[in-house]
Amino acid sequence: MNLGITATQYLEQVKNGSFTAEEFMAKTMERIRKVEGSIHAYISLNDDAISQAKQIDKKLKAKEKVGSCLGMPISIKDNICTKGMKTTCASKMLENFVAPYDATVVFNLKSQDAIITGKTNLDEFAMGISTEFSYFGPSRNPWNIDYVPGGSSGGSAVSVSALECIASLGSDTGGSVRNPASFCSVVGLKPTYGLVSRYGLISYANSIEQVGPIARTVEDTAFILNIISGIDSHDNTTIDKGKVDYTKELDAGVKGKRIGIISEMTGIGVDKQVASATSKAISKLQSLGAECSEVSLDSVKYSVATYYTIAATEAGSNLARYDNIRYGFDFDVEGFEFNAYISKARKNFGPEVTRRMILGAFVPSAGYVGKYFYKALKVRSKIKYEIEEAFKKFDLLISPTVPILPFKIGEKIDDPLSLYLLDINTIVANLSGIPAISIPYEISHGLPIGIQLFADLAKEQTLLQAAYALEKTTNLPGAPI
Amino acid sequence: MVKREEIVHAANLIRIDLEDHAKYIEQIEKILNYFDILDEASGESEVIVQEASLEKLRDDKHIPYDEELIKQLKNYKGTFVKAPKMI
Repeated sequence: MNLGITATQYLEQVKNGSFTAEEFMAKTMERIRKVEGSIHAYISLNDDAISQAKQIDKKLKAKEKVGSCLGMPISIKDNICTKGMKTTCASKMLENFVAPYDATVVFNLKSQDAIITGKTNLDEFAMGISTEFSYFGPSRNPWNIDYVPGGSSGGSAVSVSALECIASLGSDTGGSVRNPASFCSVVGLKPTYGLVSRYGLISYANSIEQVGPIARTVEDTAFILNIISGIDSHDNTTIDKGKVDYTKELDAGVKGKRIGIISEMTGIGVDKQVASATSKAISKLQSLGAECSEVSLDSVKYSVATYYTIAATEAGSNLARYDNIRYGFDFDVEGFEFNAYISKARKNFGPEVTRRMILGAFVPSAGYVGKYFYKALKVRSKIKYEIEEAFKKFDLLISPTVPILPFKIGEKIDDPLSLYLLDINTIVANLSGIPAISIPYEISHGLPIGIQLFADLAKEQTLLQAAYALEKTTNLPGAPI
Repeated sequence: MVKREEIVHAANLIRIDLEDHAKYIEQIEKILNYFDILDEASGESEVIVQEASLEKLRDDKHIPYDEELIKQLKNYKGTFVKAPKMI
């Protein structure tokens, strides 16, 4: 049995009896046991996955109604609530937190008879781009285990790349779905802000984050998006797009599409191999009939400072709830004064969360709010305006997903600013709300390179069609693990 | 230029004890210095506030909290929560 099949192939083969959902799940669990020691994609596993798959087979045999996923193994980033399962955010603070409810995205997947394989590793509270800031230790890149898998949804991308599930859900606040997708050679989509419910996604930066699918192909990504998108009464920021089938007309092609090459993301600071892969991707799109030309987004140079100012401010507010009274671990309140008690509890946050909480207290503070936070909000508006203007001239925008190749574990961990600067190509989509996707494009000296496409707000269909066209020009091997 | 005492003050405001974290102060100082790039950005644009439509609000129905949520508390009796002394 080949575990490296796509979601579409899984559905066909379960339907035609090539294997049962139980057999596939049992094989997936066996695979997880075999490779987890080297790659550490998961924080916890669903012990009932095989018996849940058995139930799906029973329903199929009895010709009862079965949801569209037919027991497909799907992993979930551990900052998305799953009822009755631990949801730790890869933090010591939530080490023993068992979610009392399902996030809407998880509820939707379960309603379609997807089976959760387990909860995947991330940078603590989704703050990072290497998965090295997990309290439970780093995940490793299946292409070379000495290298980071990207982040913060590193475990999700690793689990898809290393055949430990068929697809996964991550969350993307500044590139956290697209970055690990690029580093692990899988597809990752950050949907339009509001297209997917955030109910049950543990809050980090509410005005910019979205849940997004990570999968092996663009078609699988569209399939998962069909299930997780839609308006939700629990999340008032969700938008009503009606029922859209994102898997339809994926092969529409890019003929006549106008694609803007973002100068600020393809020039200075981009690794030579990444730049060369990007040029090749652009040429391919041109040969398929797309019209590609340069576009300048002046405010990109301010985007990292803007993003971290806004994200840290929202994080400071969101993480203030971890006072050890509602969530946390056992140490008694006796003998403590309120402030001393909370600061003792907060010592359990890891380094990146601590840094961002301090930044989040500083940048909106009385003396500095004008210089940092208000200014960041203004620049964010400017970025939105520049994006709106760009989409008057173009249907899509293109850049490499990350300016560099995956780097070695430990290489950048003591230099947070150098890590922040690597977000430059991804955060514009979060600040402006537009959708963006990373497509695996090349393997350079054994390490993956992803290409990023952006579309205008709610134009996922156009985005997925272009991504599908680009994907069809590649023929990449699977991860060597 | 940001002063180190100001960073320590911000950390105190959110009850993060920096005694063991001298390295963090240095790193945050470096990050804040980088954020000064925002000074170069033109400040003319208006802040666009994301607006949610009031038509979409859910029905004004009382939804009682779930006992499951109360069980998440570490120290509680009935509906009382045990917390550290405020003064």
